[in-house]
Amino acid sequence: MADRVRPGRLQRREARAAYIFIAPWIIGFLVFTAGPMVASLWLSFTDYSLVEPGHPVGMANYQQLLDDPRVGKSLANTFTYAAMFVPLGTVVALGLAMLLHRVGRAAGFFRTVFYLPVMTPAVAAGAMFLLLLNGQRGLLNQVLGWFGVTGPNWTTDPAWLKPSLAIVSLWTVGGSIIIYLAALNNVPRQLYEAALLDGAGPIRRFWSITLPMISGALFFTIITHTIAAMQMFDQAYTMFYGPQQKATASDESLVYMVYLFQNAFEFFKMGFASAMAWVLFLIILVITVVQVRLGNRFVYYEGDSPR
Amino acid sequence: MSVETRPLPPSTEPPADPDLAARPLPTSGPARDRRRLGPGAVLRWLLLLVATIAFTYPLIWLVSASLKPKSQVFDNRLVPETFQWSNFVQVWDAGPVLRWLFNSGVVSLMAAVAVTFSSAFVAFGFAYFRFRLRGPLFGLVLATMMLPGAVTMIPVYLIWHQLGLIDTQVPLWANNLFGSAFYIFLMRQFFLGIPRELFEAARIDGCSHLGLFRRIALPLCRPALIIVFIFELQASWSDLLKPLIYLQTEEYFTMPRGLKQIVDGFALSGEYHWEIAMAATLVATLPMIVVFAFCQRYFLEGLATTARQG
Amino acid sequence: MRSAFMVIAASATLLAGCAGVGGASSDSGGGNAGTSGGAPSGTLKIMGFGGEDEVAQARVNAFKQAYPGVQVNNAKGDFDAQQFLTALASGNPPDLVYMDRNLIGTYAKKGAIVPLEDCISSQKIDTSQYREAAMRSVTLGNKVYGIPEFYVVTTNLIDAKSLKAAGLSPSDIQTKDWQALKATTDKLVKKNGNKLERIGFDPKLPEYFPLWATANGATIIKDDGAPNLNDPKAVQALDFAISLVNDQGGWTSFKSFRDSFDIFGEKNPLSAGSVVAFPMENWYVNVLRDFIPKGLQLDSTPFTDHDGKPVSMVGGSAWAIPKGSKNATAACAWAKTMTDKATWMKAADARIAKVKKDNSFFTGLFTANKPADEEIKAKYLTGVPDAGFKRAIDNLYATLDTATALNPSPAGAEIDAAWRSAVTRALGGQPVQQALDQAQKEAEAAFTKANGNG
Repeated sequence: MADRVRPGRLQRREARAAYIFIAPWIIGFLVFTAGPMVASLWLSFTDYSLVEPGHPVGMANYQQLLDDPRVGKSLANTFTYAAMFVPLGTVVALGLAMLLHRVGRAAGFFRTVFYLPVMTPAVAAGAMFLLLLNGQRGLLNQVLGWFGVTGPNWTTDPAWLKPSLAIVSLWTVGGSIIIYLAALNNVPRQLYEAALLDGAGPIRRFWSITLPMISGALFFTIITHTIAAMQMFDQAYTMFYGPQQKATASDESLVYMVYLFQNAFEFFKMGFASAMAWVLFLIILVITVVQVRLGNRFVYYEGDSPR
Repeated sequence: MSVETRPLPPSTEPPADPDLAARPLPTSGPARDRRRLGPGAVLRWLLLLVATIAFTYPLIWLVSASLKPKSQVFDNRLVPETFQWSNFVQVWDAGPVLRWLFNSGVVSLMAAVAVTFSSAFVAFGFAYFRFRLRGPLFGLVLATMMLPGAVTMIPVYLIWHQLGLIDTQVPLWANNLFGSAFYIFLMRQFFLGIPRELFEAARIDGCSHLGLFRRIALPLCRPALIIVFIFELQASWSDLLKPLIYLQTEEYFTMPRGLKQIVDGFALSGEYHWEIAMAATLVATLPMIVVFAFCQRYFLEGLATTARQG
Repeated sequence: MRSAFMVIAASATLLAGCAGVGGASSDSGGGNAGTSGGAPSGTLKIMGFGGEDEVAQARVNAFKQAYPGVQVNNAKGDFDAQQFLTALASGNPPDLVYMDRNLIGTYAKKGAIVPLEDCISSQKIDTSQYREAAMRSVTLGNKVYGIPEFYVVTTNLIDAKSLKAAGLSPSDIQTKDWQALKATTDKLVKKNGNKLERIGFDPKLPEYFPLWATANGATIIKDDGAPNLNDPKAVQALDFAISLVNDQGGWTSFKSFRDSFDIFGEKNPLSAGSVVAFPMENWYVNVLRDFIPKGLQLDSTPFTDHDGKPVSMVGGSAWAIPKGSKNATAACAWAKTMTDKATWMKAADARIAKVKKDNSFFTGLFTANKPADEEIKAKYLTGVPDAGFKRAIDNLYATLDTATALNPSPAGAEIDAAWRSAVTRALGGQPVQQALDQAQKEAEAAFTKANGNG
């Protein structure tokens, strides 16, 4: 299957056909994406304020990235949030999927239920969660109280702000649940039957059969969730940085994209914001490459794997 | 990064039969385990019940709040003490809501149709053909997902301004004519799962490349097309930023933009009619939920097939 | 094929590049909004004005009647920085923008909005009719950048029922003697272990830090816009206000409790006995009016400085003309019409009509236009049925002349962010002096940078 691509008339014809198919994306890229990307890179070396044309300032913006403590803080916050949300989201989604997996036909109803939050507007969700997570009178702490647990002030205690954001994000893992459910449905029964005959317990079956067989799906969702988590903006902004709540926002909930947004549109430092964006780009790129390399080593593909 | 990623391998059953693809294989399912896990089943249903409540509570709260009078909106009661249906009448009168819903429908539909077919088209190019720049170009596709849109927004706006298309709905969907990285990625994985023999056989029969795309790839991946369609429909329906910066005339607004007008006008200044804001939010959200409920069968089964191949 | 690529790539980059790279100066309408006199005509594009109530509608109609030749295109919705700046950066700004007055300083300094000297002279706007604190907020470097609208003032609102039940009287809610206030607060607060059940006096931190600082005699932004956040009097004021919070459960519990209030509903904090007293803005009196039938007993005392003189910070909005506006004449005419006395009277008429229809009473209209305020008060503020509400409205009107606003500054946004951050940190436990010192450092850096770039 993995022929080396040999130059020749046939290959050239094939390449030309390929480019015809890809042409729409290339055109779109050149007109709408490349230009703006290059422009934003150029702007990151200027003091562009949105009102006046930018003057080149060399590496000043990038230097300031190193000097401004808020940049580091917001980046650390974002990493912490991602480190909390990605594993937790994966585990919760997988757990719920495994529950649904045993349920049979009623799974259809639950799949709808779990996907509904994805369709609820972020602004409305943010407002509702501020109420639900309220430390004094919110529903979550009331429920915790039934079990004798005194819940913290989720939305005001600096130590609990990022977990609050993670909880809000957890609410929208419906898509992953559905993907995992399908992947679980796909594991051939024979494997489990054989394992049972060999006397394997449920945990062993999970580790040796379930997990490898769904590793492709895990790989895909972990990568996409990580990229999304590093760029998280909506939840933090609507819960803590909207016009009504801005006054009391703590630095603990400042995620990178919110600080970028503030620099661009509140402090008139679009050049600096562009520098922030490109640094984030590089960080995400590195993380994704690492994840793909690890994935290629650990992910199990059932069919053959042509390069 | 090795972008010559392995294609999602074909499942144990050939996916050529869409009907088979629509029904998940009976694997380690309920029939087998029901007799073994009686008390476990109770626990399972309990957990599902708790999860259901957790996932639907905010939406139920929204429905409830939209039916309450102003003084009770935040009163912590799930069932309204007083049902005030007139909230919806007021939303209707607050602006050209029907027009806005119509605009949203049109724009979302165009955005979804455009991105589905263009992404499939481009993805086929990346999936079927072998050519030298395939890897680097696909890497570029993925890279476009990694730069935050906030900093490219203004240059893009400028391009539309140069084209004279500000204050029209065109910028809201026209970008989708050129494909979108996320969906290209998705569709490519799907196409890679089609056994090469099918294509080769058709080529021998004299099928053109376009024919391969239209007659083999697309039909076999119909569920994926539906997924992309529904995803983009939802994303475009709920997008506020594009209409906010591109549209100035009220008649062209989409529903999220109209919603902002209503909320800013009624809830954030003067009279603080939060009940109208909640009702308007529900009106803005409900159509998409209804569409999803109907397409659910195709949609979710389609997602199932995607995952099966990975 | 490859050369074709190069051509496409190059031209696309050029296209986007010329268009995008900071090229907002293509349409620069010059330094002043060139209102060349003449009658307003053409299209008027407005951004940032979302008001839908009868007060807004009446005034909009007044303009439309006065200038039927102008086609008004109002993209309704509150001011959104992304929306406005995107349009501005691309050379496609609205003709007129409506924003909060405390943004004017920053936007003016950055050149996003233009001085209104021409506008004022050609449309003959009498700026002396606007209240001084409002005009100060829109003036930077001796140039006026906005026409003020609305005057949001604060006074203390009190739950008389709970106060009486605790054996105290409204005169105990006073800010002249801070130690006495502390004692009163301690008597009124109710706690149940970790949970707060009632706040005695809510100092409204962090938002009202300027109020406390000003009441203590500090000027946290100097006349030239330079920050003065760690003025000893400001430190003292913040220290005291935070001590009130700490006496009432500590910040995280205090804020959570406050966040859980149903501000607009039947169980609003004053009706439900969650807060006994707090300084609050005038619009809240309107909200509370609905709950008199449900048993709300309101009272009010003025928020004063140590000499007993009423103190209030002023909020409000302003009309400004963006750089590159294509119809400054009509924009200027609009700003003038929306804020002149005759129009305000029409708005007041509309409000009175609505109040009569709702079987309610008028709670005042604070316009930032002094003659308008006075005439409206004389004509319409009669017969407030509830004594406590009457006292509240009277207190609000009494502060109009003494209310003050923070000086506008070229680094306004950063100074704002700096002190808000500092107050939040101090509430979280950082020593007040340290927090404000840090804020002062950040603010000074921003101010120097903003001023240095001419």
